[in-house]
Amino acid sequence: MEINFVTGKGGVGKSAVAAALALRRARAGFRTILVELGDQSYFRDYLDLKEVQYRPQAIKIGGVQFDLAQWSGQECLKDYALHILKIESLYRLFFENAVSRALVNVAPALPELSILGKITSGPPRNVGPKLPYDVIVVDAYASGHFMALLNAPAGLAAAVKFGPMGEQVRSIDSVLHDQEICHFYVVTLPEELPVVEGLELAHNINKRLQIKPKLLLNRCLFFEEELLTELEQENSAADHLPSFSKYLLELNLRQRLMQDRLLKSGYSTETLPWVLSFDTKNVLEKLSQELKI
Amino acid sequence: MISTLDSANVLICIGSGGVGKTTLAASLGFLAAKRGRRVLVLTIDPSQRLKTTLKLSDNGDLSILEHPNIRGKFSAAVIDPKKTFDEFITRAASQEDLAKKIIHNKLYEELSTTLSGSQEFTALEKLYSAHESGEYDLIILDTPPTKHAIDFLNAPQKLSAIFNEGVTRWFRQTDKNSSVFINFFHAGTRQVLRALEALTGSEFMHELSEFFENIQAWQSKLEDRINSVHRLLISPKTHFCLVTSFDPAKLKEAAYFGKEIRRGGYTLSSVVINRALPSWLLQTTSQQMTHANSVTTTALDKKFQELKNYYQERDLFYRTFTKELILEMKNEDIVFRIPEFDRDISNITDIAELAHLIENGGLQ
Repeated sequence: MEINFVTGKGGVGKSAVAAALALRRARAGFRTILVELGDQSYFRDYLDLKEVQYRPQAIKIGGVQFDLAQWSGQECLKDYALHILKIESLYRLFFENAVSRALVNVAPALPELSILGKITSGPPRNVGPKLPYDVIVVDAYASGHFMALLNAPAGLAAAVKFGPMGEQVRSIDSVLHDQEICHFYVVTLPEELPVVEGLELAHNINKRLQIKPKLLLNRCLFFEEELLTELEQENSAADHLPSFSKYLLELNLRQRLMQDRLLKSGYSTETLPWVLSFDTKNVLEKLSQELKI
Repeated sequence: MISTLDSANVLICIGSGGVGKTTLAASLGFLAAKRGRRVLVLTIDPSQRLKTTLKLSDNGDLSILEHPNIRGKFSAAVIDPKKTFDEFITRAASQEDLAKKIIHNKLYEELSTTLSGSQEFTALEKLYSAHESGEYDLIILDTPPTKHAIDFLNAPQKLSAIFNEGVTRWFRQTDKNSSVFINFFHAGTRQVLRALEALTGSEFMHELSEFFENIQAWQSKLEDRINSVHRLLISPKTHFCLVTSFDPAKLKEAAYFGKEIRRGGYTLSSVVINRALPSWLLQTTSQQMTHANSVTTTALDKKFQELKNYYQERDLFYRTFTKELILEMKNEDIVFRIPEFDRDISNITDIAELAHLIENGGLQ
């Protein structure tokens, strides 16, 4: 079992990177599921689908197929409850009761815990319904909200030591700490703000789990040798497009600067290209070919 | 946009994460202050650079900014959600020891810091008390980053669901000394609670019942507050400004949001598309462009073509989106475009420049 969490500041393209990673694993022959969290779907608009649900649906890109699903706390808890309570009627009684439905949504940390429980329900925990996948890619929440998700088990473990909740919390936490199973990716852009926030997020994940996330510097424009030579020559072809040349020179400098900063941070770092296309499937194909993970 | 800045009492900048809400909120605040109004900008989690520029401190203290162009007053503050929540509880709870008991409950800690809805609530709480103080002509609220713009409006309702009479009553009637639930309830409810206990264990249930027992004291106060805040949000003097980026999926979301916000009775006065077109493209004259089109032999010309085509294709999405939105909102001037700057906007000169650009109608 391989679980990949993809996170980063809002707007850095983490959903696209997560989908590209799922595509890459599926192409390598692994049974793969791409999971998005929260109540509203991003992939519905991004992949132009009718809807994205808790129940996985098959997505086909370039002849390769993987599953896509959206997991909310409520649905994950339902799944787990059915497994534990076993008796369908009791389970129905619980989830069809308006008050308990409200409670599930608001009881602090319960939705977060249910989601993590579902994600980590495969081996070695083997809790709840079987997850028929080799690889899970989680298009996770952005920075602060992602840390709240990761911190939910630890916070609750301190409050609740005994009973099924206590046991579940500890076993979820031990899977999260397992470097063989869980991998963390922080997506960022070659710009000041996303880099600062991305590095802070990487430190926080490392501090919480003692696992070093990998940094992915997304949307970098590729500079061909020839282009660089033209830009650096005096009185060159660049003269007839002054604003554009100036922009490219500054962009090249900024990209290199940001790359240096990530490399110096001690986390392994990878650069991803800026794919100049609005054809989503084409973008995902290109990104998945460039990913080295 | 200008009429909003001159006449509204509250302006709420809303939008999903990473679209430049905070910078825009600061620039709009600067502009309104320049035009003579007393302005407060409330922000959550600004970047380090913006914090330095606006002289903001983390403890929520007010900073007042000086600039030769400001005729009114320009103040700003960071919202500290945990502190705001604790202050609210302390004020709302009638006895001090009761407030302490709540604040020290372990689940409350989770609630005040991580539960979805609590950040939004504290932002609105801060907004409301600033509005009540009467010290400002215009308060601009930069909302917490959410995955979707609509999450912000749904948050207070989500939080008030905690005080759903049914849930609190359940837990008030539990007896912690005997088996967790005694026979106050009819058989159905008892079974539901047993099911929950089987799922979570009795210790969790104890924490939960203590939590619900304690919040009883400020239940009505919180509900009152949520109601007054809602009245403020639907007042015609409160305007919303949706900030979005030029990503086709984000534009679809913005169109959906426009519909929702109208349905909710709020006033959406503008949709700002940030980083609409890069300045290098705007600065390239048609003569230069023709030249580049005719000699696509150099690597630079090829790159220029490639990027220009990309942005032109993106502009097509924008045109479709604008047409739909104008139709939906029945407002010709609703969409406002801001070009992409070559640099991070972080110092006061950049903010003044962005304000100037907005005053002149943005990107035409």
